[in-house]
Amino acid sequence: MNRIRLLLLSVGLLCALALPAWADEKIRIVTTLPDLADIAGQIAGDAATVESLARGVEDPHGVPIKPSFIPKLNRAHLLILMGLEYEQSWLPALIDEARNPTIRKGAAGYLDCSVKITPKDVPGTLSRSEGDLHPSGNPHYNLDPEGGRAIAWAIFEGLARHDPARAPQFEANLNAFLAQLDAKMREWDRLSRPLKGLKVVSYHRDLVYFADRYGMEIVGEIEMKPGIEPTGRHLIDLVGRMKAQGVKVVIREPHFSEKAPNQIAAHVGAQVVTLPIMVGGAPAVKTYFDLMDYNVRAMLKAAQAAGVAGNE
Amino acid sequence: MPTRFSTCAGIVLCVVLFGGWSQGFAKDIAGSDIEDLKKQMALMEDQLRFLRQKVEQMEARPAVAPAAEKSPAVAEGEKITRLEEKVDAAVASSKKTFLSQFNPSLTLGIDTIGSYRSRNQGFNPGDGSGGRNDGRAFSNRPAGADFNLRSAELFITADVDPFTRAYAVLNASADAAGNDEARLAVEEAAMVTTRLPYNLTVRGGRFFADFGTLAHRHDPELPFVDRPPSLDAFVGGESQTNGVEVSWLAPTPFYLKLTGAVGNKLGGETPNGVPASQSRPIKGLTYLGRLLTYFDINDDHNVELGASVAETPNAEDRTNIGRFERRLVGVDVKYRWFPLGSGLRQSLTVAGEVLHDLGEADPVNGGRRVNALGSSVRQGAWGGYAYAEYRLSKAWRPGFRFDYFQLQSEPLLVTNPGTGQFGSTRNAVGHRTDNRTWSPYLSWYPSEFQRLRFQYNRADRGNANDVNEFFLQWTVFLGNHGHGFFERD
Repeated sequence: MNRIRLLLLSVGLLCALALPAWADEKIRIVTTLPDLADIAGQIAGDAATVESLARGVEDPHGVPIKPSFIPKLNRAHLLILMGLEYEQSWLPALIDEARNPTIRKGAAGYLDCSVKITPKDVPGTLSRSEGDLHPSGNPHYNLDPEGGRAIAWAIFEGLARHDPARAPQFEANLNAFLAQLDAKMREWDRLSRPLKGLKVVSYHRDLVYFADRYGMEIVGEIEMKPGIEPTGRHLIDLVGRMKAQGVKVVIREPHFSEKAPNQIAAHVGAQVVTLPIMVGGAPAVKTYFDLMDYNVRAMLKAAQAAGVAGNE
Repeated sequence: MPTRFSTCAGIVLCVVLFGGWSQGFAKDIAGSDIEDLKKQMALMEDQLRFLRQKVEQMEARPAVAPAAEKSPAVAEGEKITRLEEKVDAAVASSKKTFLSQFNPSLTLGIDTIGSYRSRNQGFNPGDGSGGRNDGRAFSNRPAGADFNLRSAELFITADVDPFTRAYAVLNASADAAGNDEARLAVEEAAMVTTRLPYNLTVRGGRFFADFGTLAHRHDPELPFVDRPPSLDAFVGGESQTNGVEVSWLAPTPFYLKLTGAVGNKLGGETPNGVPASQSRPIKGLTYLGRLLTYFDINDDHNVELGASVAETPNAEDRTNIGRFERRLVGVDVKYRWFPLGSGLRQSLTVAGEVLHDLGEADPVNGGRRVNALGSSVRQGAWGGYAYAEYRLSKAWRPGFRFDYFQLQSEPLLVTNPGTGQFGSTRNAVGHRTDNRTWSPYLSWYPSEFQRLRFQYNRADRGNANDVNEFFLQWTVFLGNHGHGFFERD
């Protein structure tokens, strides 16, 4: 009898611990990446609590599956993700374990922002011999401000569907975000003019949208194939291509080792620049606007240091 | 009269003259018209021919309206119409349906091991082959070198409907030590609910029960080549059961999960148990419970704690007629340091599990543990393992494992291999009657989907001669190889 009382007491205590989480009336939003959290926070305003599972400095393809994510997903009203299999290696397992039918794929709370964009790099043939491909296309569209616009629209529509009564508030926040984005885009366009035609090499193929937006050309990647670490032979070939095409800027993403970028840069006399690919990827990058601003300016600085920045 | 004549003559003359002139005039007029008409007709024929040629040329050409002649708005409209037609065609072509579209997701794991051992396995379980011999929890692999296709595991999963998902793991192994014949086994085939209220989930069918941290992992998903020998001895390989499991996620801000299950058995615990054709008392089922929690110390450090129990109140052994109680309890801990954004992808995992088996069961020999007089003996045995693995980079992961377990049949059923004396507690060279295994290993991941692993086992076997084992494991995964929650690093 005492055992049963102890069990009931324990269950009661656990439920009491959970009360603070249930008590608030705000929309509980969980995002996979911090960029989504920043934009969702701007559009939802004080109507929601927003939390990102991944941090800006980690590898977004290999986020560790932490059980501490489970309670967050279990109570979420909306799960906002990048889609295009960006989170494929870790998110499905978490959704299965979270016991929240609202955020399962296809449900109203499952908000895939990629439905608003036209993907680049959609593979013609699917084979693992080409590395860790994304069958629906390159998922790093957050690095194009137009991708930011698409994310904002997707989040607004999801929020308005979830809480139609507060849709006018979300719309006003969306308009404010887009107005600021337009102003910033004009500034980034002006700043990035010397980058047009600049040839670069990156570690992973995650800067396609960014390079296309500002007229840069990606000559190759340090990775042999997406998700596959480089072999010596691949690096020799890459250095050959860089020399032939006059590549003087090597981009490293924060979650990759500095070793290979420094090695190949030393061979061709190139500048290495570290570009965060998510909000929080560098100490100064606290918002989505910070991210784009930081990347455009860092690229410009690297190109000028390498003596390959064009004229405005 | 002459006047009348002259008048008539004049008239006739006039008529004649007029007739002659008129005839000549008419004749002249008629001649020029015909010529003109002929010319005109020839001209018209030329024009007609020219026009016919033009028409023929135009008919031969695709009908393209000169853009310049159309207003920009009209041209734009036509352009949009043509684009819409193309889009409609593309959309229509994408709407093709195939019956195979509802096929479940498939992953095939192929796991091959080349090994060399200095002696045969004896009482030392744990080369990972899963081989069993008359209920004994050890492999009967012989000494020497061999290659073993340990598993070709097909993992199948899909949603059944809005309420349930299901999965199955079919394993075909072709073990050289088992006549090299491929044997297909249903390792798991279970249904899992997805929409139950109150954070409840029910799983039913054949599944690897939630006991400890490594007992429910499939062979290719283990962090080592072989399953820790203590798990092989106490759980009997994988924690397989046929039954039903209910788990509850506590509505707490931190992760806390409580699981309860009932099944026919746990792992290879009762291989000589009641056959399906015979009735089994309710107390003859195995009851399982597990509590699991997890804490983030900060972003980079975290700890996972678990406790498990498996209780069979009244197991029945068909071969060694008798009933016995068995209780297996385990405590597991896992610490992980995973510095986010270190740029080097380094991490450290230190984990371990302590097991205590209490009861009258004899998992090594099967059946009930009895003394020399045939009376039941309730006895406990300790076992467990601990390992540390350091991820140097994305590709390289060295590690070390230590495993210990007491032989649960001690001290009654051991025959000293040196003296042949039954009931010895020490073997011929004075070793204790327990088993210790030291296992350094190194894993190399050329990609997410391929792994090579080298492992050395030094086993100090209390009741038998020591053994050295070398393994080289090659594992690949085909298809959609997502990491399950239980297979997380």
